[in-house]
Amino acid sequence: MTDPSRAVEDAFRTEWGRVLGAVARSTGDLDLAEESAQEAFATALRTWGRDGVPERPGAWLTTTARRHAIDVLRRRRVEAERVAASGRLGERVDPGPRAGDATADPVVEQVAVGLDDGAWDLDDPDGDLLRLLFTCCHPALPAEARVALTLRSLTGMTTAQVARAFLVPEATMAQRLVRAKRRIRATGITFRVPPAELRAERVVGVLAVLYVLFTEGYDAWAEPADVVEGSAERRALADVAVRLARLAARLLDDEPEARGLLALLLLQHARRDERVGPDGATRTLAEQDRARWRHDEIAEGLAELEAALAVGRPGPYQVQAAVAALHDEAPDADATDWPQILGLYDVLLDLTGSPVVALNRAVAVAEVHGAHAGLAAVDAVGDDPALAGYHLLPAVRAELLVRAGRPTDAAVDLRRALALVDREGDRRLLERRLAGITAPPGT
Amino acid sequence: MRYLMLVLGTPHDPDLRPEEFEAAPPIEEWVGRHYGSGAAVIGDRLRPAEDAVGVRVRGGKVLVTDGPFSETKETIAGFDVLEAPDLDTAIAIASEHPMAYGGAIELHPAWPLDLDGS
Repeated sequence: MTDPSRAVEDAFRTEWGRVLGAVARSTGDLDLAEESAQEAFATALRTWGRDGVPERPGAWLTTTARRHAIDVLRRRRVEAERVAASGRLGERVDPGPRAGDATADPVVEQVAVGLDDGAWDLDDPDGDLLRLLFTCCHPALPAEARVALTLRSLTGMTTAQVARAFLVPEATMAQRLVRAKRRIRATGITFRVPPAELRAERVVGVLAVLYVLFTEGYDAWAEPADVVEGSAERRALADVAVRLARLAARLLDDEPEARGLLALLLLQHARRDERVGPDGATRTLAEQDRARWRHDEIAEGLAELEAALAVGRPGPYQVQAAVAALHDEAPDADATDWPQILGLYDVLLDLTGSPVVALNRAVAVAEVHGAHAGLAAVDAVGDDPALAGYHLLPAVRAELLVRAGRPTDAAVDLRRALALVDREGDRRLLERRLAGITAPPGT
Repeated sequence: MRYLMLVLGTPHDPDLRPEEFEAAPPIEEWVGRHYGSGAAVIGDRLRPAEDAVGVRVRGGKVLVTDGPFSETKETIAGFDVLEAPDLDTAIAIASEHPMAYGGAIELHPAWPLDLDGS
């Protein structure tokens, strides 16, 4: 027999976004949708133990949320009509625009839409999820709000949990979410799939939000968890991002880049257990124990990448995933296929023009053509203002200077990197490197 | 939803691409399509800011000024009022305007007085 509280938990993981998305689409009100979804899960906790777990938990929860939303909307309509009626009784001399015209009242209009049975189509839960995803990632919302709203709406993480993962006070995060929802209403963002001519760039926007989310979590895997505040919560974000990328790849099955992103995240996330050493220093790929990578996840990532590439419309995520795949497939660091990685970085640089990509490419140049060629490639992007303050620029340069037999110059760059670094794991790695250079020979 | 669509000239925008502006669909096409469908309600080109007239009431007196007005790097070249079901529809309409290529468009959602402060 199914354990009811366990069943509610499972349903929460898989159905929260769908339940919320259904109410949001039918009412256009994200706050009401959150409240109704919460109410539905609370009701499930109370009744599933007594009445048994329903056959289709998702449909049961959506119906329950819908009933709650309709109750609220009915109460709002009664209230709006009461206010309008008392306004008419007042009969001021200046009626003002639309005063007393209850049918034109926006609250009543919205309520009417929400109460319309035709607005509730329960048979398209995936469609509701996709609309919700596009809405949460709408470019008219501030970037940080998109990430927070996506977490809150698609996964059911509480405001407090989202706040902890982003290391901001709960009140700050609550305000960020309130403002985003207010902006959705004020600017007329609706719960829809964007029109055809805007769809391609909106897909890019959705994938970018998921990638930011992943990076936030994945970075924490390269930090010493015991000394960095909120590590567990941040690390968990990477897992959430993989789940959301899996969802996006399924919902956007005509977009190979969505699948490419899923592949990229799987192929990187598979290395998480090896990203930091016992000394709390970030490990380079060469230092990681490849036997401890998650080979089942690598296999899944490779399959996703292959399926994406088969469509024949490559993009930045597919190319990055191909780079990650070459690292993951090499039995040891020396066996890495650097010439092919360099070729992929050439493509990626062409696609993105990103200076960070150019820096990564310089590492591949050094592996293929030697440290001097690598240094020239680093220095070619060294003046890019986008890289000013980025600790990996001097860190990469230092590494190549060591290989070129210039330890004194390398020490200068390492100190520069140490002055910029804000990640504890990278700081410890850089300090170890610096100690290795400046230690007197023979010790 | 009703939107005031401000059509801006942005001569100092470093990202302007004159060749894209050249290739943009002509304004007549935009006007024909969106006034024809009723999505655009009213609109016009505007005379330069030097011909604008300022009006304010201070201490019970009407003060009329001939400028200077907002000293921004952008000029308001025209406006249209759009009636659109939602923001994405308005964005799609705005992105077809030639000045979206040769300047910038701002969509200002209307805020009817009878809304409850939201």
